[in-house]
Amino acid sequence: MLDADAPLDLTPVAAPPTKRRGRWRSIGVLAVLAAAVLALLSQGLLHSLNYFETIDQAMNSRAALGTKTIRLEGIVKAHTIVRTSSGASFWMKGGGQEVFVSAHGSPPQLFQANIPVVVVGHFTSATSDKFDGTQILVKHTASYIAQHPKRVKAPNGTTR
Amino acid sequence: MIRQLSQRLLGPVTLVLLVLTLWLGLWVTPSFEVQGNLARLVYVHPAIAWVALYVSFGTATIASALYLWRRTRSAVVDRVAHCAMEVSVVFIILTLITGSIWGRPAWGVWWAWDARLTSTAILGVFALAYLALRRANDDPELRARRGAVLALLAAINVPIIHFSVQWWKTLHQGATVFTPDHGLKIHGIQAWTLLISFIGFTLLFFWLLRARYRLEVLRDERYAASLEEALVQRRREGVR
Repeated sequence: MLDADAPLDLTPVAAPPTKRRGRWRSIGVLAVLAAAVLALLSQGLLHSLNYFETIDQAMNSRAALGTKTIRLEGIVKAHTIVRTSSGASFWMKGGGQEVFVSAHGSPPQLFQANIPVVVVGHFTSATSDKFDGTQILVKHTASYIAQHPKRVKAPNGTTR
Repeated sequence: MIRQLSQRLLGPVTLVLLVLTLWLGLWVTPSFEVQGNLARLVYVHPAIAWVALYVSFGTATIASALYLWRRTRSAVVDRVAHCAMEVSVVFIILTLITGSIWGRPAWGVWWAWDARLTSTAILGVFALAYLALRRANDDPELRARRGAVLALLAAINVPIIHFSVQWWKTLHQGATVFTPDHGLKIHGIQAWTLLISFIGFTLLFFWLLRARYRLEVLRDERYAASLEEALVQRRREGVR
């Protein structure tokens, strides 16, 4: 206890050692971050960097693909959709080639003719052009055109 | 005076623009040719993503860079970086949620591990790590510096997210507004509504940033005041 009347002791005092908790906690945070990023990368980018194969790409590498499960992208050909109790069958076109798809499970809400789709599945055999699908994903475009039954066309043929 | 006026008007103007977006988006604009009414989420999701990636994360990144440069290093800049990153977390999470809500009926799935979605999730993880890193350090300068370095590292992901739909084949659509050929893929009142939503959500970010910044200033002042009080108390205990 200090006495208010006594002279002050100004001898330098060594600072107490600073705790290194902050450093270890930072390392811990960075370790968790690295683990999370690696987990996301392994799930996402390494397996799905190119999310799908186009039809012409798949047909060109049929021998290598075999009956491996892939995601096949193409446009649903008009007047070919047949809805079944277990799913739907249709022809899919892309890059000048066509594939017959027999898909199980309910197609998504937007599934329709002339729309790009990605079908998860596999070719039925190493040489067959039939694709057995387990899931249909609709790949909608980036164009947003208003619904107008009596849309007027511009002289250059475009519509808005 | 202009500054005070703009600060007072920020909240009301933001509210008006967001309400206008809601009204135009839900009732005035026509539905879309392929996606029907589902695509009305185009007035919400892209604007939130724009704020998450470029406005809020961009603010945090620039403030972090300014902090690391000695000439511009200050507590103000550090606070801006911290507050902007907190708001960024909110907008990144909203981006993923609104995207999922749109994706389920449009694509058929809540989530897909494609390049755009995965890299956005990674950005969210980085933003959370920034906040965790700040809490892990008691020393203010160390906290600010480490956080700033992490923010700059995380910012590398932003162009990856932006160009992912061009570099790789993704389920996520390409750009509607910032297209490679600078052509707009949305027109008329729909385009105007989209523009209003972008402005509205951008102002919402600045309103949230301002509110959060004021809270941070009050917190720092309270800490300084309590520290001063504790020192006075200690001195009183030592001298009787």
